[in-house]
Amino acid sequence: MNKRLVPYLFIAPYLALTVVFTIYPLLNAAVLAFYQTNGPASRTFVGIDNFRFLLGDPSFHRALTNTTVFTAASVVLVLPLAMGLAVLLHGRKGRARGFLRLLLFSPNLVGGIFVGILFAVLFTPRYGLMNRALHALFGWGLEERFLGNPALVMPAIVVTALWVSVGFNMIYFLAALQGVDKTLEEAARIDGANRLQVFRYVTLPSMRHVVGFVLVTTVISSFQLFELPLALLASTDGKGPDNSGLTLITYLYDVGFNTGDLGLGSAIGWIVAALIFGVSMIQLKLSGLAREQA
Amino acid sequence: MSRFFSIEDFPYGKAPFWLLALALVSTLSVIVTQSSSAASRPELVLATFAPNHRESYQGVARRFEREHGVRVTVELVHSRALETRLGNALLAGTDVPDLAEIGAGAIAYFTRGPLSDVALHDLTDRIEREGIRKRLVESRLSLWSSRGRVFALPHDVHPVGLVYRADLVEELGIDVSRIETWDDFVALGPKVVRDLDGDGIVDRYLIDLPMGAAWGVQVLLLQRGVSLFDERGNVAFDQPETVETIAWYLHRIEGKDRVATECGWGQSLMKAMIDGLALFYMAPDWRTHTIMTDVPNAKGKLRVMPLPAWTPGGRRTSTWGGTGLVVTKTTRHPELAWQLAKALYFDGAELGRRFAATGILPPLADAWSLPEFRAPNAFYGGQPVGELFASLARETPPDWATPYKTQAETRLSDVFLRSLEHFRSHGDSGLKDVIRRELRVAREYLETVIGRNVQARH
Amino acid sequence: MNPLRALVLAFGLGFVVLLFRTPKDPRPAVRYLATGVLVAAAAAVVSPFLWLVAAAFKDRSVLNEHVFFPPLGDWSSATLNLDNFRRLFQGDASLTGKVYFSQYVLNSLCVASLSTVLQVLLCSLAGYAFAKYSFAGKGLLLTFMLGTMMIPGVLLFAPVYDMVVRFGFVDSYAALILPGVVTPYGIFLFRQAILSVPNEMIDAGRIDGASEFSIYLKLVMPLVRPLTAAFCLVCFLGSWNAFFGPSVYLHAQQKLTLPVVLNMYLGVYGSDQGVFLAGTLLAIVPPALLFFALEKEFVSGLATGAVKG
Repeated sequence: MNKRLVPYLFIAPYLALTVVFTIYPLLNAAVLAFYQTNGPASRTFVGIDNFRFLLGDPSFHRALTNTTVFTAASVVLVLPLAMGLAVLLHGRKGRARGFLRLLLFSPNLVGGIFVGILFAVLFTPRYGLMNRALHALFGWGLEERFLGNPALVMPAIVVTALWVSVGFNMIYFLAALQGVDKTLEEAARIDGANRLQVFRYVTLPSMRHVVGFVLVTTVISSFQLFELPLALLASTDGKGPDNSGLTLITYLYDVGFNTGDLGLGSAIGWIVAALIFGVSMIQLKLSGLAREQA
Repeated sequence: MSRFFSIEDFPYGKAPFWLLALALVSTLSVIVTQSSSAASRPELVLATFAPNHRESYQGVARRFEREHGVRVTVELVHSRALETRLGNALLAGTDVPDLAEIGAGAIAYFTRGPLSDVALHDLTDRIEREGIRKRLVESRLSLWSSRGRVFALPHDVHPVGLVYRADLVEELGIDVSRIETWDDFVALGPKVVRDLDGDGIVDRYLIDLPMGAAWGVQVLLLQRGVSLFDERGNVAFDQPETVETIAWYLHRIEGKDRVATECGWGQSLMKAMIDGLALFYMAPDWRTHTIMTDVPNAKGKLRVMPLPAWTPGGRRTSTWGGTGLVVTKTTRHPELAWQLAKALYFDGAELGRRFAATGILPPLADAWSLPEFRAPNAFYGGQPVGELFASLARETPPDWATPYKTQAETRLSDVFLRSLEHFRSHGDSGLKDVIRRELRVAREYLETVIGRNVQARH
Repeated sequence: MNPLRALVLAFGLGFVVLLFRTPKDPRPAVRYLATGVLVAAAAAVVSPFLWLVAAAFKDRSVLNEHVFFPPLGDWSSATLNLDNFRRLFQGDASLTGKVYFSQYVLNSLCVASLSTVLQVLLCSLAGYAFAKYSFAGKGLLLTFMLGTMMIPGVLLFAPVYDMVVRFGFVDSYAALILPGVVTPYGIFLFRQAILSVPNEMIDAGRIDGASEFSIYLKLVMPLVRPLTAAFCLVCFLGSWNAFFGPSVYLHAQQKLTLPVVLNMYLGVYGSDQGVFLAGTLLAIVPPALLFFALEKEFVSGLATGAVKG
């Protein structure tokens, strides 16, 4: 078998399926961004009017702010927490580890809709677990309407997302920790490094490919936050009071499917894609995590 | 004997091996257990999202099948999925149900463009010709109309009343038959609002009103005859009544004249009812029924009354939401579909049974004289709830549908919240001016968005 | 002072005591702290499930009366029973006869396991190609792939539905599995994982005369088992809990998957939340079992020892 053909063979299934299920729809959406659609049937060409409108649209700005805040919070909170828990868990042995791991991962065993319903109950003023726990620990928050106060909606969403994603990313970090060469770590310790230094100079670099993966995918999925606010803020269709829970994708959904202008929705989609692309490229360049050298 | 295959040797790992085994076994089982579905498509496919509708519709469908010699399928699809499926199916041109039940918001998506492009059958002439229109509550057609043409049959009226804890109200010596206006109602505040156990937190309020969103205001505005949009799709909520209502509302949820609290939905709402956190709750007809199943221990303690009016002799009800039945243009049997639609929605005796099962009042006035509507409801202390709602039905206000409804609702919420902020920090001074200003900003934004729609709506 | 604050205080005290017992060696104290943090995190994460467990067993009449469990004095078969489960199992009518809960579980298992297995195979193949080969267009393709990951899926839904209909896949599991069977996410993951595999090993395999595919299968894949295991879990869960796609594409009652069926109980005009939650509770079991099965994989790591050789 000609060795040069082999890589192409290996990616052939991906290419075939992508052309059908990604490229064609993408072209469709690309074209659509310059149109205005009216429900399922008609469409009219409007040039860059959709983009011009979005530039000045306060709802879009709000969605952009909310989503950026959420993404930043995700990266800054979720990743260190997940890494921390992974490291703590890595040091344990046997039954305890397996059990704790399952517990910490358990939020991911259920679907997004359930998470939304669950946390809507947990944030109920007076009766909800969150309110009661905060009140017991800090003496504040019993009557607070977390999902009804514009300033508290985003923190509530972040906490809900944290509940799910810390355990999730912890699994990846745990798997990566397994793959670190122990002899290197021991060598460093023999050379006199303390645990923190070993972690920083030996362990972490060995994990960098996975860390890079987690970082990029966290950014991407955070920018595409959709199902969670929709389920959590069901009474306002995912937007929250004063659009405080509006994310780029829930805005896309509202504009494209509730109002019926898929053209404007596509325009939003493209802006989101461009944003994520820009941020990810910057991330990857700065950290060099996508480079191939082992 | 060649090398024994050990699971440890499976290159991907042990669990992937088991997953592979699971995949093979389950696929085989699925092929066996899922008998092949009917080879050909039934003549009519109806898609609905409410499980309690489906049971009733199955009965009608079976009778229809016998009478007309065709096959009818009733599919149950989650509401969001149904609207997506319908929209996408219409885009793709195939796999479209012949009839579909959709929620009040969804119709706008389909009627957004030029009338000729609407993928649903225009039913206006049919309901006129066959004399159906005059038997219906006219205001309900507003939910399903666009530019004067009706595109769906209304399923319900959804008049809104007040459910209240009759036992607690009696204890306090309140006579609800004397409550005629909202002013009378609010005057009860000082008697009711109380911190019962002395822990500094008020335990009893007069009424349940949402505090972080404007849908409570919307219901009250509808009661006053103010809808988000008018018949022709223009923004219609920027009115003096709106300013008054929002100001009134703010006084009820904050400050010294506060009489309301938000009890939420679902579990927290039901718990509030049991605990008596609020004495009065706004309730459309269907909610009176869900209370029966969700709070069985409140049996005998609750009653229903009309909403207090804004002016003496004024409208004593409002409306909230609705479901409608559309006939898609892609159906291959339009006449048959129409017959089925009529059978489903306007078949007399069945409507009585449906009311008994769901508590939802149909828009067909002649049905209200059926016994099920007049029956005393033991849960509500023998009160004939159906009769009460039937008496309010003709008064329900119109609620005009447009594709921009969700955006308008968000904008109204903005107005509400900003006004609330002002009220909190500055009280009454300058409040009405702030509300007026915010309403104007909201209206202008919506008009810009609507104006962008290149294909003129009228 | 309430129980929660007392607990935190007691824990803090314990830490201080340990610290002072062996002032030169902070290790026991640190270990104590670490355990405490882990247990606290686990408790915080699991406690919301209390609501789920309580609601699944509460009788419908008291579901809304108590937010969690009824007070101990009120426990009886009238307040806590298996009624929700009974209603879950009673079966739904359909064109082809009654469909029972077990069928939905089987359907979900089938779709999830098939989808996972195929994804592991195809994504790892492509990931390996990107990691260890150089070929024309690789950089471009990689960037493109990364780019497509950033397109919001919601946007592509309508055209994908169009394609699925054209191919005649509607109301079949192909519609659920095919569009997502090779994802940039998976390819990216395996690429990153395989990048760590030393090239010398692959060269050695080639010198030994092994075919490209067997190098991939027998040399490379065993080395990335932990990440394969993580990926399996993620794929399975994604498919197991998927709601939107199946609810739009699947029509026949007997083909429905668990999330679709369960969400039906949350109607607009009146939901049967207890049954929904009982079903959700049961739906946690297969993924949890899978998780336990994968545990060993996380431990095995570089057990083959090939790296050192």
